[in-house]
Amino acid sequence: MSEVVTVTIDGRQVEVPAGELLIKAAQDRGTYIPRFCWHPRMKPVGMCRMCLVELETPRGPAIVTACTTPVSDGMVVHTRNETVQRVQEGVLEFLLINHPLDCPVCDRGGECPLQDHVMAYGPGESRFVEEKRHFEKPIPISDLVLLDRERCILCARCTRFSEEISGDPLIEFTDRGNGVHIATFPDLPFSSYFSGNTVQICPVGALTATAYRFRARPWDLTAVESTCLQCTAGDRISIQASQNEVLRILGVDVEPTNQGWLSDRCRFGFQYLGSPERLATPLLRDATGDHVEASWSEALAVAATRIGDVLQRSGGQAVAVLGGARLTNEDAYALSKFARVVLGTNHVDAQMDDGLDPQFLAATVDRARIGDLETAKAILVWGPDLKEEHPTLYLRVRRAAQELGAKLVVVHPRRTGLDDRATHKLTYRPGEGADLLTELVAGTGRAAEAREALAEGPVVGLVGRAGYGEDPRLAEAVAAFVRTLPDGKVLPLARRANVYGALDMGLAPTLLPGRVSVAGEGADAIAEAWGGLPDHPGLDARGILEAAAAGDIEVLILVGADPVRDVPDGDLARRALETVPFVVAIDQFLTDSSRVADVVFCADGFAEKEGTVTNLEGRVQKVNRIVPGPGQTRPDWSILDDLARRLGVELGLTSAEAIAKEIAEVAPAYRGVTWERLDWEARDGIVVPEEGHAPLRYVPADTPGARHGGDLVLHLARVMYDDGVLARHSPALAGLAPGGAVFLHPDDATRLGLGSAEQARVVTEHGEATLPLRMDDTLHRGVVYVPFNQPGVPPLGPGPGVTVTPA
Amino acid sequence: MGIYPAGAMSRWSPETRERARSILARYPEKRSAVMPLLYLAAAEEGYLTDEGMAEVAEWVGLTPAQVQSVASFYTMYKREPTGRYLVSCCTSISCMLLGADEVLAAVEDEAGVPAGETDEDGVITVEHVECIGACGGAPAVQVNYELIEGVTPDTARELVRWLRSAAPDSVRADEMQELFGTRRSFDWAIAEHAGAVGPYPAFEPYGTTDGHP
Repeated sequence: MSEVVTVTIDGRQVEVPAGELLIKAAQDRGTYIPRFCWHPRMKPVGMCRMCLVELETPRGPAIVTACTTPVSDGMVVHTRNETVQRVQEGVLEFLLINHPLDCPVCDRGGECPLQDHVMAYGPGESRFVEEKRHFEKPIPISDLVLLDRERCILCARCTRFSEEISGDPLIEFTDRGNGVHIATFPDLPFSSYFSGNTVQICPVGALTATAYRFRARPWDLTAVESTCLQCTAGDRISIQASQNEVLRILGVDVEPTNQGWLSDRCRFGFQYLGSPERLATPLLRDATGDHVEASWSEALAVAATRIGDVLQRSGGQAVAVLGGARLTNEDAYALSKFARVVLGTNHVDAQMDDGLDPQFLAATVDRARIGDLETAKAILVWGPDLKEEHPTLYLRVRRAAQELGAKLVVVHPRRTGLDDRATHKLTYRPGEGADLLTELVAGTGRAAEAREALAEGPVVGLVGRAGYGEDPRLAEAVAAFVRTLPDGKVLPLARRANVYGALDMGLAPTLLPGRVSVAGEGADAIAEAWGGLPDHPGLDARGILEAAAAGDIEVLILVGADPVRDVPDGDLARRALETVPFVVAIDQFLTDSSRVADVVFCADGFAEKEGTVTNLEGRVQKVNRIVPGPGQTRPDWSILDDLARRLGVELGLTSAEAIAKEIAEVAPAYRGVTWERLDWEARDGIVVPEEGHAPLRYVPADTPGARHGGDLVLHLARVMYDDGVLARHSPALAGLAPGGAVFLHPDDATRLGLGSAEQARVVTEHGEATLPLRMDDTLHRGVVYVPFNQPGVPPLGPGPGVTVTPA
Repeated sequence: MGIYPAGAMSRWSPETRERARSILARYPEKRSAVMPLLYLAAAEEGYLTDEGMAEVAEWVGLTPAQVQSVASFYTMYKREPTGRYLVSCCTSISCMLLGADEVLAAVEDEAGVPAGETDEDGVITVEHVECIGACGGAPAVQVNYELIEGVTPDTARELVRWLRSAAPDSVRADEMQELFGTRRSFDWAIAEHAGAVGPYPAFEPYGTTDGHP
């Protein structure tokens, strides 16, 4: 426990931690000191002078900035005496010399710190009559952010954010004196994945978001707290809507997850909710093969009849369910129960052949918390480029390495967003990770120095698949290595929304709700609660698609799943969907996959339903409803309950909250997790399992041995913006996908006779494409990198084999 | 896809690159070398271009926006082309009291352009500057940052005419002081032998001196 000192603030004695900044100490004890530049998550700079207070010193009273003054014992501070009031009036009068009074047409008007402070602390009138600064306005500094320079009060929050937090300082002060303004470099926009945060922390309306500008006034917005589902970190957000339309999302500062920050995909990726393309009625395929609108009863009847026929004729083994990672835990539980009890199938998978073994994930109960990154001495990231796939984790790891002094070892086939902060960076050919791991474990070869960096604990290992060509068992082997390190803890990385919650609800062939193995301890209790379980071995996503393509699956149910786009082997998914005789989709859009469905049910989406979700730590948090779904959409659990009834089974699902109660009773790892607790005492979530849950036993597979002998190996990995269906229907994000390209090391390019080529032909076992050729000297030799799922690029499959030839 | 512009191929001459390397070697942190390297970039192309700033950014591991922020703060980093001779007239208080305004007017008139501009031939750029540390010899004028003290409107005109007619490859403070100056701040100052070869400070590591012994 740190030392405590006594400080007198406005005549009131308070005890505060020694060394804390006065502005923070005062705020925590109930005295708000006005400020513009100080932000609790960034270093103080004392630029705006708004937080000036008076200190009593042995040499008389002194005016100091509260944001740069640490408290000391016996300090006497005045924050609102006559002197301070005069000082505050002066500061605000100066700030308004150039700040325009265009509040009525400014996005910030109504929630503007400057406006509020001028009201509360300002002089009321200005003595300045001179012309204010004028600039061309607004100038787009990126596709998402607009800058009105004349409104800027030069607090440096945005520039400090981009340097201290997100690590891409593409905006800076330019010029000097009266001419200082924020600028980007010519032709180099503020294309940060985190640019939206600067809009949120701007204390005036200088930075505004294109997606929100002129769309609403703050006092017309209603807001609800929720959890973001764009990545798996479970970021706390405030969803804000007006007239039943979600208009913006803001980050909420909570310590366990996002510390207030959001990626732009999270902040601006909500617009699909209001897309005119959203499904608003169920669809049926007519005689000509076109989709026609249908009533719920028609559509449910068709689905129930066809599914019933198949179940009677071929049994549950002929039915498979793909998806569920976009659902809440309650919907996922309903789907899991529906699959096992009504369909009698274990062919269920929420992962799209792009994740890790579900039993490995369920068995990792001693996971690291995101917060462990704050105290870690060393961090190992061996998996996807966090900046592209897990942006919030990226910020937390960057903070640990940049601000908190943790040693950082990054292992990836090419450069990642963290390389500039990595103490050690190792690259390798996908498929040969096991060799590098052997070196790392032994501390030999090129991994010797990295091994030393991991010698001091606590160590946090973030492990996952670096790309789609990567064997998932490599991540298990890396995790096993991390556990041998001093105080080593693992955060396993899987992709897609609520995938951890979906797996915890049993949306995996080998899992039942509550991290129970289908064949293990606890399965009997669930069988009893549910009235029986299927006993055939289940297929995972790849197995389901292969069986479907071979004609062994007669009914495929897609729940918010777009395997054609999301499964690495998109070609296999396409063939599977063409072969399956009856496809049912529960979705928000007609995707490349649900387009071939015979029956499409329209479902409520994010912000349209209440429930819980689970993040990668196992943290269960609430998501909340603020708008209704369009047209006749319904929650997934209700669709499934209705369909079950028509198939002659009562699932007994009555509401999302009732399902939550059932989960808390049936699913061992979720025992005792109730909405009541999440809404009140545990607003930052509950990390499951709590005490008393016997973890599933899981023996990791042997380290993968299979190695690709070919000359080149494909590295297929996601980038933040792609052609996924939700991004495609969010106008702010739709244009941001970088587009298809093939990346080669310059040496490889020369060797292949592609030294000066603009384009190259990429051929794999599963597909081929002609793509723009880019040189990338950060690639490991012999690796061909292609960003996954870019607009206009046909699926190339997961690799590993690939050839690149002149176009 | 990275935050730095692609095309890491340097636009600089081998000599400039060698100088950049040796300057960088002096600093424990690469970014500390940003200001010397900005002079290198200016000397390489005559003034600081966007490309020059982007190249400095790559050398020192900053973003171009950060380099631009530094470059735009200091008035000696010229981001517009200047003439071959940059004539800087001090108009701060000491010089002003001793007739700097008249000196500046004479330079502007003789050069044919107002302060802040370059003549048509690209020979002379006129500017007025804040204190250049020669109050004792006010009014002071610099040509390519080489100092002349005790300038009168008449000698200022002569200076401009001389720059045009003699068109020296380099300018040296002592030589110009002899020709156009009068009173100096420090008569006992050590004689400078090296001159400036362009509108940037004469400094050996930048390669901006004429290398006189």
